[in-house]
Amino acid sequence: MPKGRDEAPQFNIFSAEFARCPQPVYAQMRKACPVTRTTLTDQPVLSRYEDVAWALRHPEIFSSAMDMQMALGTERPMIPQQIDPPAQTRYRRLLDPHFSRRKMEALMPSIRRHANALIDSFIDAGECEFDEAFAIPLPCTAFLDLLGLPEQDLALFLEIKDGIIRPAKLRPELAADLEGQKQARVGSGKRLYQYFERTLEERRRLGSERDDLLSSILSAEIDGEKLSHTEILDICFLLLLAGLDTVTATLGCNIAYLATNPDQRRRLLERPGLVPGAVEELMRWETPVTAVPRLATRDVEVGGMAIEQGELVTLLIGAANTDESHFPDADTVDFERERNIHMAFGAGPHRCLGSHLARMELCVAMEEWHRRIPDYRIKPGETPRFSPGIREALYLPLVWER
Amino acid sequence: MPRVRVDLAKCVGHGRCYVLAPEVFDEDERGHCVVTAAEIPDSLAEDARRGERNCPEQAIRVED
Repeated sequence: MPKGRDEAPQFNIFSAEFARCPQPVYAQMRKACPVTRTTLTDQPVLSRYEDVAWALRHPEIFSSAMDMQMALGTERPMIPQQIDPPAQTRYRRLLDPHFSRRKMEALMPSIRRHANALIDSFIDAGECEFDEAFAIPLPCTAFLDLLGLPEQDLALFLEIKDGIIRPAKLRPELAADLEGQKQARVGSGKRLYQYFERTLEERRRLGSERDDLLSSILSAEIDGEKLSHTEILDICFLLLLAGLDTVTATLGCNIAYLATNPDQRRRLLERPGLVPGAVEELMRWETPVTAVPRLATRDVEVGGMAIEQGELVTLLIGAANTDESHFPDADTVDFERERNIHMAFGAGPHRCLGSHLARMELCVAMEEWHRRIPDYRIKPGETPRFSPGIREALYLPLVWER
Repeated sequence: MPRVRVDLAKCVGHGRCYVLAPEVFDEDERGHCVVTAAEIPDSLAEDARRGERNCPEQAIRVED
């Protein structure tokens, strides 16, 4: 008989303290039990590398079809993230070529330009709040480029994105009002559907062949059939939700780490060729997307512990990525790590569609930032603040010599 | 000469292999792994092993 939920120790993985520095808690969780539980919501959590990897590779047991549970303002599942194989595979076949490393490399010059334009706007001040000034706008402009949307839509996108992901950021009165937040999400979700409906309509009317993702999606076919209008909307919804916050959070985690670890920063300045290795290692160590959810399709046993059918299971990627059993000296941040099989972009069939875009954006941003602002630190007397779940550095005040 | 095999049923396109060892691995249209030659000269063996070591799906095998 597997052990039941009463025997699983509980951990709080939603606190601001955890978000600021999760690694020691990860270690406790891995050690405590193969399946721990969340406080308050009492949901199962997997934290060992082996278990998380296994769950990610078994979508028939750990399903991604949970659009209703997540309540992100969607009217249907996001494609392909909230769809299981084999249907998901058909969408990935269609989308993967548009996100290949080779395709993403073509966007590099424009990202570099955007990064420098942003830096130009604040470098002379000798200080900035990194999230607002750089980490938020950069991935957003990249996203608009990729889809072929006008740059002046940036502010609108940021507002809709926050309305869905962090409704309380725009409307602080909703901070403790979960029902209100849910309704705000639905409202923002509607605006997003409407925005894309309008844009798609326009594209169809003009009928012009443009070399951007939106045009490609419009003309794409699966088994000889074009995508339906709702399928296209559900893909757009995902691209926006998955593509913006994640890179924003990673930029913040990386710069916060390097601001507080000057020796590591100096190594990067002396050897800029280390940037890609540093990006990988900080993805592992910081794991900005700390966890991904899955829905148990049946009763299942993990490490002698019972998980019940219908439970929402948290796969704690950050804990897997700091597991000693797969990463020697897991607590050492080593930009030249010999073997780095981190799962910060997931694993199995749902491997992050945008991983090559993210890596490229991160490398370019790290290169340009350190080329232009090599010496920076946290503003004296200030403490950075991180959000749980996706560890965005919501408040990261930096200073440097002018 | 060392032989390089990729289990395409396991590959999901992380792309670590062709980034870390571009002389041994390439990408197909979807960004999944393609081995440039099944048999490689000894001079590329370490590159091939770097790709093997860093594949998160453990889809690559290098055999002497």
